[in-house]
Amino acid sequence: MHDIALGQYFPGDSVMHRLDPRVKLVALIAFITVIFVVNSAASFLLLAVFTFALLLLSRIPLSVYARGMKPILFIIIFTTVINLLMTTGGRQLFSFGFIHIYEKGVINAVLVSVRLCFLMLGSGLFLTYTTSPLSLTDGLESLLSPLSKLRVPVHEFSMMMTIALRFIPTLVEETDKVMNAQKARGADFSSGGLISRAKALLPVMIPLFVSAFRRADELAVAMECRCYRGGEGRTRMKVLRCGRVDVVFLAVFALLAAAVVLVNVFFPLFAFKL
Amino acid sequence: MAEIRLEGVSYTYGRGTPFEAHAVKDLTLTIEEGKITGIIGHTGSGKSTLVEMLNGLIKPDFGRVLLDGEDIWADKKKLRSVRFRVGLVMQYPEYQLFDETVRADIAFGPHNMGLSEEETDERVREAARFAGVGFELLDKSPFELSGGQKRRAAVAGVMAMRPDVLVLDEPAAGLDPKGRASILSGIREYSEATGASVVIVSHSMEDMAAYCDRIAVLADGGLAMYGTREEIFARRDELRAIGLGVPLITDIAYELSSLGVPLGDDIYTVRGVAEALAKLIKGRER
Repeated sequence: MHDIALGQYFPGDSVMHRLDPRVKLVALIAFITVIFVVNSAASFLLLAVFTFALLLLSRIPLSVYARGMKPILFIIIFTTVINLLMTTGGRQLFSFGFIHIYEKGVINAVLVSVRLCFLMLGSGLFLTYTTSPLSLTDGLESLLSPLSKLRVPVHEFSMMMTIALRFIPTLVEETDKVMNAQKARGADFSSGGLISRAKALLPVMIPLFVSAFRRADELAVAMECRCYRGGEGRTRMKVLRCGRVDVVFLAVFALLAAAVVLVNVFFPLFAFKL
Repeated sequence: MAEIRLEGVSYTYGRGTPFEAHAVKDLTLTIEEGKITGIIGHTGSGKSTLVEMLNGLIKPDFGRVLLDGEDIWADKKKLRSVRFRVGLVMQYPEYQLFDETVRADIAFGPHNMGLSEEETDERVREAARFAGVGFELLDKSPFELSGGQKRRAAVAGVMAMRPDVLVLDEPAAGLDPKGRASILSGIREYSEATGASVVIVSHSMEDMAAYCDRIAVLADGGLAMYGTREEIFARRDELRAIGLGVPLITDIAYELSSLGVPLGDDIYTVRGVAEALAKLIKGRER
């Protein structure tokens, strides 16, 4: 249970950690756009160099990023196989029985795998590893705040998200505790058929639900006691501020992104023709 | 009717992550048969980790846990029967209640043991009596009970398995003085009636002094002291150094003695001081 890593924030004090979350969110969106726009090998090579530099800048062990890739391994294998088998076009490279592999299939498979890897690295680099869940929701709220003019309850959504994120570890811990308590009374969660296993979870689910409601109630009272009444006119202890580092980062990042796209346009070296 | 021996056990939370924390380090301790052993220590001294090792909820990274000389991790299939023999009441156990009635909730353990209805029913009554759950509460929903009643019902739920070793993590935390006394004396009654060994984890030196035969003091995940309460409380300077101190009344008796009121130095309860003072006064009247 202790291995559940939701919101895998990796505490640190690097440039990547200190950037304004809004800057990181915008950068991530740009990053994703770039990886889906470019398709030349030269561009991806350049992008790989930049990404690697940023990974080093984040001062998070590369093994952590490598571990983060594990969950998408299956998706990569799956899409690769589907692409290889289902895409037709270009020269036929290989044929055996019902298996026909075409040039375009190989190109597609490689392209999708590379993009998925970049996607995973990028989201880890800009958000999940370097941004605490709280500053992430703060950043989101601030970015989405124009929507509140359209009567979208942005603050309420972000408060809900903050609370949910805040209580995930608490609930995980509590699940752990209740499970242990019931195990101590001989509850058996790991044997028997589907129905008996589902039944065995009741002694865990009921106390959990009861305590989740109790917590919600207590939290609501505590918030009211401190005069919480929504986002209007609310000030913050930690005001998000775009400092010089953020501006420099954005400028450099924009230049790099432009460079990658330009390389794609002018040097379609080994470009994957689609 | 059972003895537990921890041999050089160690445990680390979150091994290999930046959040790594040593909870217990190379600890050796014997829980003696039929005795009430108190475990005391600061928050974070490894008490809770230690008790979860006693019934195999946590597997030590190093070292062995022996129940009557048998390694409880030798055969994982037997772990469940170990948990029936070593009953553990976790911290704030009232949050584990789930069934429709208090009776059914207390019967959860005996049911899991596969006992017959009659046997289960008898055990529920017995456990309810030891834990101080009134029979009129048995058919109520556990969610209707007060905090203290819930706590007792949860303790009864473990006692109903009639464990040879009853382990309780902070059984009296957050209760009023009357609730504390009644739950702790219920535990002692259980031990006396069944001959079971008992382990009580607590912050309260007063409770330790009043109920425990043996006291183990933990500090930084290791065993700092172990002995009878006389032996432990005689080392008050060392206890102070760990930041624990002795029962308030022992301190008072000690200060009185140093002011020339010879009370003796083996006093751990208010009653003890009262008796010693009474003896002194009577001595003077003569």
